[in-house]
Amino acid sequence: MAGVIKEFRLPDLGEGLTESEIVNWHVAVGDTVELNQIIADVETAKAVVELPSPYAGVIAELHEQPGTVVEVGAPLVSFEVAGPAGAPPTTGGAASAGDTGAPAKREPNLVGYGAAVEKGGRPERRARRFASQLLGGANPAGGSALPGLAGIPGSVPMIAAVPAVPARPAVEAAPVAPALESAGPRPAAPGLPTVSGERPRSTPPVRKLARDLGIRLEEVPGTGPGGLITRDDVLAASSAGAGGSIAPAPATSSPATSSPAGVQDTGRETRAPIKGMRKHTAAAMVASAFTAPHVTEFLTVDVTPTMELIGRVKESKAFAGVRITPLTIVAKALCIALRRNPTLNSRWDEAAGDIVQFNYVNLGIAAATPRGLLVPNIKDAQELSLMDLAGELTGLTERARAGKTGPADLSGGTISITNIGVFGIDAGTPILNPGEAAILAMGAVRRMPWEYEGQVALRSVMTLSLSFDHRLVDGEQGSRFLADIGAILADPGMVLAMV
Amino acid sequence: MSTLTFGRAINAGLRRAMDNDPKVILMGEDIGKLGGVFRITDGLQKDFGAHRVLDTPLAEAGIMGTAVGMAYRGYRPVVEIQFDGFIYPAFDQIVCQVAKIHYRTQGAVKMPITIRVPFGGGIGSPEHHSESPEAYFTHTSGLRVISPSNPQDAYTMIQQAISSDDPVLYFEPKRRYHVKGEVDEGSDPAASSMEKACVVTEGSDVTLVTYGPLVPTARDAAVAAGDDGVSVEVIDLRSLAPIDFETVEASVRKTGRLVITHEAAQSGGLGAEIAASITERCFYHLEHAPVRVTGFDIPYPYSKLEFHHLPDLDRILDGVDRVLGRPNSLSGLER
Amino acid sequence: MALKNIESVPGGPDGPPPGLIQLITADGIRVPDPAYDPLVADVDGAALQGLYEDMVVVRRIDAEATALQRQGELALWPPLLGQEAAQIGSGRALRRDDFVFSSYRENAVAYCRGVDLTDILRVWRGNASSGWDPYAINMATPQVIIGAQTLHATGYAMGILNDGDDAVAVTYFGDGATSQGDVNEAMVFAASFQAPVIFFCQNNHWAISEPVGLQAHVPIANRAPGFGIPSVRVDGNDVLACLAVTRQALARARSGGGPTFIEAVTYRMGPHTTADDPTRYRDANELEDWAAKDPLKRLEAHLDSRGLFDEAFTAAVKAKADAVAAELRAGCLDMPEPAPSDVFKHVYSTPNSWLDRQQDHYERYLSSFADSASSDGSS
Repeated sequence: MAGVIKEFRLPDLGEGLTESEIVNWHVAVGDTVELNQIIADVETAKAVVELPSPYAGVIAELHEQPGTVVEVGAPLVSFEVAGPAGAPPTTGGAASAGDTGAPAKREPNLVGYGAAVEKGGRPERRARRFASQLLGGANPAGGSALPGLAGIPGSVPMIAAVPAVPARPAVEAAPVAPALESAGPRPAAPGLPTVSGERPRSTPPVRKLARDLGIRLEEVPGTGPGGLITRDDVLAASSAGAGGSIAPAPATSSPATSSPAGVQDTGRETRAPIKGMRKHTAAAMVASAFTAPHVTEFLTVDVTPTMELIGRVKESKAFAGVRITPLTIVAKALCIALRRNPTLNSRWDEAAGDIVQFNYVNLGIAAATPRGLLVPNIKDAQELSLMDLAGELTGLTERARAGKTGPADLSGGTISITNIGVFGIDAGTPILNPGEAAILAMGAVRRMPWEYEGQVALRSVMTLSLSFDHRLVDGEQGSRFLADIGAILADPGMVLAMV
Repeated sequence: MSTLTFGRAINAGLRRAMDNDPKVILMGEDIGKLGGVFRITDGLQKDFGAHRVLDTPLAEAGIMGTAVGMAYRGYRPVVEIQFDGFIYPAFDQIVCQVAKIHYRTQGAVKMPITIRVPFGGGIGSPEHHSESPEAYFTHTSGLRVISPSNPQDAYTMIQQAISSDDPVLYFEPKRRYHVKGEVDEGSDPAASSMEKACVVTEGSDVTLVTYGPLVPTARDAAVAAGDDGVSVEVIDLRSLAPIDFETVEASVRKTGRLVITHEAAQSGGLGAEIAASITERCFYHLEHAPVRVTGFDIPYPYSKLEFHHLPDLDRILDGVDRVLGRPNSLSGLER
Repeated sequence: MALKNIESVPGGPDGPPPGLIQLITADGIRVPDPAYDPLVADVDGAALQGLYEDMVVVRRIDAEATALQRQGELALWPPLLGQEAAQIGSGRALRRDDFVFSSYRENAVAYCRGVDLTDILRVWRGNASSGWDPYAINMATPQVIIGAQTLHATGYAMGILNDGDDAVAVTYFGDGATSQGDVNEAMVFAASFQAPVIFFCQNNHWAISEPVGLQAHVPIANRAPGFGIPSVRVDGNDVLACLAVTRQALARARSGGGPTFIEAVTYRMGPHTTADDPTRYRDANELEDWAAKDPLKRLEAHLDSRGLFDEAFTAAVKAKADAVAAELRAGCLDMPEPAPSDVFKHVYSTPNSWLDRQQDHYERYLSSFADSASSDGSS
């Protein structure tokens, strides 16, 4: 008989059963059976039941022997029945998993399919449409702060233009003390690091701010109640260069220190004594501003090629785990441009009556730290490869964030950079770090309409602001230096023409 | 140690509780000669007698109300509700009487009643046989609500429930009745608490909270997530009222991210309570709003559709992706 | 949907229908009953005087409590006026180790159980959810959910059976409760297990505003045999008859005969509670008819006919009632206020982490007020 083979699988014979034992077969291979003829006795956890044949036909195969325990859903008997191939089964063959879109592992061949059997094997997810993005891909929600996952904190804001941070009164930024928050583990006192193993304590808007600024909250000391990290703490950390962001120039802004000692608050105004870092910074700024005649020049550059370079470098295996940001490239460009314009790397020694030109570059990075404005510097930056320079920048900013900047870091600087772009600022007139001849302020990278190959295109644009000591540097030298840096950022390949 | 199925572990726990205290009696439909429709009480009437294992008339309010009277008389009734969806006729007796008599009588009358409820879906049954009504009871003061997820807990927690002087709803994940596991039948139930949550998989990136039938699913999800580079900590609540929020809180303080999964409908459910409580307790540690992965707000669907309703590994991991800000099914909807 | 024949339901105001057990008529005449007389053969004149005193005292308790409610000392009161015979007759039949599961109107039964008078008022003054310790007087906290207590009594009786004891559980409920599933399920369980339980239904003709005809289309007692439970209709305003039928049911239960259903046909002469206005739904004539069958008046007439109602007796009864009323009033007014933290007490028998936290937070809240004397806030 030219029949079709039909397979009958063990149904759930009670509610929620997973298996049954074949007690005995009433039929043998080759037997002809009628519909509903008893073909087997089967024992479940609940009862011994008779199995009626679901088909009229010939027994083609008995898949299991008596005494065998069979899982619900496993093949039991194959029948050869008359009828065209591919005809739907007369019973049991309900919608397949594929029809319903249900998980593929679950194939209810019967309505009563019983409880799922615990299967061995490693559990796996089903593939998703966006599976390719899952690992190391772009993250629509902003820079991932997940340890061990792709996405380096700070990389996103360094690429995208950062919105200007609204100035907020400190009182708003510090939430009311959570007096009744759980008595569970918590920092012992304000300002101390969070308890080991816990996430840093902060509020969602502050977390968002930190993410946008590329700040790792784990490394920000909290000054709020119970060690809560406030909006001001994140801004301070950002100014200090935490997470690779760089502080604004001394002249643009400097966040107040967090010390409340001696502060008087009348409601309408708050008076604090001039002392400590604030006093020191003020003296240095006045000395610089009124000793060195400042000239500031501006240059706006299409840095799209630089941003593309950063993207390529990040993807290269050699730079795995290395933080590359626009600051890294600007620092490198500055070192290269200094070789052609060494007067920018010099010092007016009034006492000795000398002009000292340095043959090395100790590159200062302005940073707002928990202690106040500091300008630690990278020693012999001219010797460093891009990768080493990136490493030094990271180390310097981490030490500044942690308040561990040492005296050696702070002394001997020859030229400085300040990154005001992290605040969404385009340009400014930075004041020289005392004793240095130049300071470069880098503005925000903005997507702007720009002339490109004869057309208007949306390009990444940055403004550079260079202040120099006109006693040491003439306009021509300063202008060439700034133009060189701009040329490298506009076309990193220009480096080949300069070295 | 012996290897028992989940169902046999409950049976063994019942047997031990009945051995230890002659005031423990079982009441329910078909629990005597038949041993219950899931055979959980198999053999107990034969061994303890019809006066201790009572086949009752088919009236859930009647069973519960007479259990109250038994408790008044000093007994510790263990009531079997045959299926989750059959508990509603007894609802008034549970919430108005069982739950409140201790309070009403200012502690004079105790209600040490254990209400066993096979619950949850996944076995292909018709309506009323696959429900998850636990939130009705966790919302009712005076009740304690627990749900074991493995044979050892099933064995220990049934004894703890019976020895509790307060009424306890003991929700049994019926689709796990046939899961086998090691059970230490000599263990002392008094040595542990049925109200302590258990970290069943340690992790550092996301806290995944669940109970009962979804615990194995959550553990599988943690393994699969681990293969994706995400470290998921799975917490088996065990107790649903009260919830051991201290354990959940300690985990979320570490991970900053919380996903809750249960079969029951979402709105007004336990997930909402957990999300709210943890947000209140750990607001400053949260990196993302807590996410619920639950059954839909629908009557329990017919069985061909139930695996759309029931959270599974992939839906749970979609929730994990959400709290991580990774691409997920709602990407673009969330801000 | 029309409800027919409500007015003609047996047990209405047209005199005792056939089958109603009555030993003392409304006029105070003792009528012999060969079946029930032996059950009350021991009730001599002094005992009858005792039952009379009980009824006067509970009526006085009722009046005093109603007054206290009108004076703002109680939030609510459910009067039992008119039902004294049903409650005293059955209540006095019980043994100390029997256990009562009643509704909220059985204050006369509580009186028979020896309740402290002040305890009767605690619930209604809002000072507690239960006036007394149920085990102190073997009477459960009165049940508010209509009919729920009948299942509790049945379960308790099943426990008595298991213990091999000969105590009896007695449950009180009204005609309205007989429509509840719980009452019907209780009868199923009681019959199936042959539990020693008495279903004592006071058919007082009104479930708030709904007449008994809305609940039952046949005499309520006729339902019980359908469950396999013997039943009896008794004149609920005849204290002696109520005593007799209750004794009969108790004897049956104690000897393994299982449950009995008693329908005591009586009348709620007052409102459902002090918040009710029966004039909105009830004919004044009906009240007059039932006033003629008043349980106290008929026993008074009977005692008088036997020379047992002299001035010394009435004076003693009055003195007792006055003393009880004074004690009740004093107990009410002197009841200590509960402490704020009592709101959390006894929800669970062992500590509960959710509630402990709420209590801790609430105590902090209370103590946050400048004028708070303690964390309790009680000052």
